[in-house]
Amino acid sequence: MLVRLAWRNLWRQKRRTLLTASSIALALFLSLLMRSFQEGQYTSNIENNGKSGVGIIQLQDPDFRDSESIDELLPSTEAFIHKARKIDNIDAILPRIHGFSLASVGSKSKGVLVNGIAPNKETDYTHLADKLISGQYLHVEDTDILLAEGVAQYFNVSVGDEFVLYGQGYRGQTAAGVFTVKGILSFPMRELNNSQVYLSLNQAQILFRTNQQVTSWVVSLHSLDAMAQTVEELQNAYPDVSVRDWMDLSPELEQSIVLDRVSGLIMMYLLYGIVGFGLFATLLMMTLERQREFAVMLATGLVRMKLLLMVFIESWFIGLFGVVIGASLAVPIIVYFYQNPIRLSGDLALQMLEMGYEPIMPVSISPELVVSQIWIVAVMLLICLLYPMWRIVTLDIVSGLKGGAHAH
Amino acid sequence: MSIQTIQLCKTYNANSDFPVHAVDHLDLTIQQGEFVAVMGPSGSGKTTLLNMLGGIDTPTSGDAIVDGYNVSKMTEKGKIAFRRDNIGFIFQDYSLLPVLTALENVEFVMQLQGHSEAECRARALALLKKVGLDKHQNKRPAMLSGGQQQRVAVARALAPRPKFVMADEPTANLDANSTAELLDIMQQLNEQEGTTFIFSTHDQRVITRAQRIIVFEDGRLTKDRQNPDYKRHTMSAS
Ligand SMILES: Nc1ncnc2c1ncn2[C@@H]1O[C@H](COP(=O)(O)OP(=O)(O)OP(=O)(O)O)[C@@H](O)[C@H]1O
Ligand SMILES: [Mg+2]
Repeated sequence: MLVRLAWRNLWRQKRRTLLTASSIALALFLSLLMRSFQEGQYTSNIENNGKSGVGIIQLQDPDFRDSESIDELLPSTEAFIHKARKIDNIDAILPRIHGFSLASVGSKSKGVLVNGIAPNKETDYTHLADKLISGQYLHVEDTDILLAEGVAQYFNVSVGDEFVLYGQGYRGQTAAGVFTVKGILSFPMRELNNSQVYLSLNQAQILFRTNQQVTSWVVSLHSLDAMAQTVEELQNAYPDVSVRDWMDLSPELEQSIVLDRVSGLIMMYLLYGIVGFGLFATLLMMTLERQREFAVMLATGLVRMKLLLMVFIESWFIGLFGVVIGASLAVPIIVYFYQNPIRLSGDLALQMLEMGYEPIMPVSISPELVVSQIWIVAVMLLICLLYPMWRIVTLDIVSGLKGGAHAH
Repeated sequence: MSIQTIQLCKTYNANSDFPVHAVDHLDLTIQQGEFVAVMGPSGSGKTTLLNMLGGIDTPTSGDAIVDGYNVSKMTEKGKIAFRRDNIGFIFQDYSLLPVLTALENVEFVMQLQGHSEAECRARALALLKKVGLDKHQNKRPAMLSGGQQQRVAVARALAPRPKFVMADEPTANLDANSTAELLDIMQQLNEQEGTTFIFSTHDQRVITRAQRIIVFEDGRLTKDRQNPDYKRHTMSAS
């Protein structure tokens, strides 16, 4: 009965009810779209960052974080890593050796970063082979070397030339070797382009004399959303290993995402704030214009609690309309752009292509985003209801009966 | 099951230089089943009295004992239960809920009091029949005339079987015909259901229909007499 009454009361002021619901719908629509694009962008940034070599998670020796020393290593054996392979959310696991070495050709020398990689797995995930501008990519047993373009130019070497590495290996052993340049890679980021060289994992283990060990295992995931759980599973499987997620590995990226997200959230709350004022005005009007009617209801035997409940239901109907309209407009659009992402064009697109990224505006489809919008509307409603509810609680029947517009 | 007031007072602005004694040391007894008109000039305190007897206004001093309950000493909660179980209200402007049909208006409070749906329906239909509106049960107030609306309001007031009905100028907005009809109905219900009716009015025609007439001036009772012209309703089959 109360619900029926509340429902009919809403349509006494059709236009006002619809306008208020629409403003909620609009805020929810815009917020949901914005947040979905934002989160989609972040996910894509994180994944692109991972593909640039960092991965989503890395397994490392606990001391490696601070020392980055070739002495703090993990086994590279299947016996070691097979536990990780059993975790469902893990997509690829790549062994890596990261080491520093002095390179010299003729009279020139320069520090380079040596990457020992499993060539096929590596290019499956990072598309390293696509960055080749001359020569050929590595194969598993390869003894040759790939140079970043900047390194090759510095030493003025090309495919087929010899390249000498000289540095410190495992536990102070000498790490020296002569390699034939098999290919030149071009990286859009200058630091990478001027510093990286690539060996097969095998060859890097020989160079640094690490035996069956690596500096890290780089992990990529099927679902970024489930990362926390995967990290936990990995940590349980490898209690003595440091399991580092992308936030730990790339704190700058995390910061930029947090900043961007916060500015988006501020925008969103501003929007809801404005809508909230309208909602408040509507709810207050709904209460004040019916003071007399409420007083009559109270006098004729309605308990105040039921009256509060009725106004509560009325306002939840408005909120519900807003949410349903807003979400049913936004969700199909989000799904559409999820399946048909907006393709970027112009300079930005070129830049992204160079970085090896797809030039699209990705969106995220996340029930959590929808649920959080609903929460915001719910909390906003509750806040807006406080004062009108208080007016009903303190409504004096005698003065209510005397005054107050009697809305028909 | 009577009403008795003892030195009942309602004073507004008591602490100012011009206190208003809306009801001034009133001693009054009304017996169960009476059909009482309260008359008096505007501002004489009729509404204030009815509100106090009905448990929606609080006396400043004195006692109002209604069916054994002392309204002056009741808690808010107690008043709610008291009103629910004892009092029906009728207002000058009908005050039906505009979004409910005539039938729903009559059922509404009963339903919220937890009576079964069948019980509410039966009682509401019976009352609508008594007030002659059974054919209009599904109309909303806006589609009814003022007189019809007020008859629905009478049915609504009686639905929870109150012992007393407080009607504050129930006929003020009605024409002569509707007024006569409404009074017929009220009197009939008064006789059939034993409900005590107390109604305030300015209208001479209404006063002649009352069983007892109480006259107010400045919050004080100036006349209280039985109406010699009062005729008991012959249980007509209208
Ligand atoms: N809230 C209030 N504050 C101050 N004075 C009030 C208040 N309510 C009523 N009064 C005064 O109390 C007196 C009685 O008012 P009441 O409404 O009971 O009169 P009434 O007989 O019903 O008049 P009417 O025939 O015009 O309806 C009046 O003088 C009025 O001015
Ligand atoms: Mg009055």
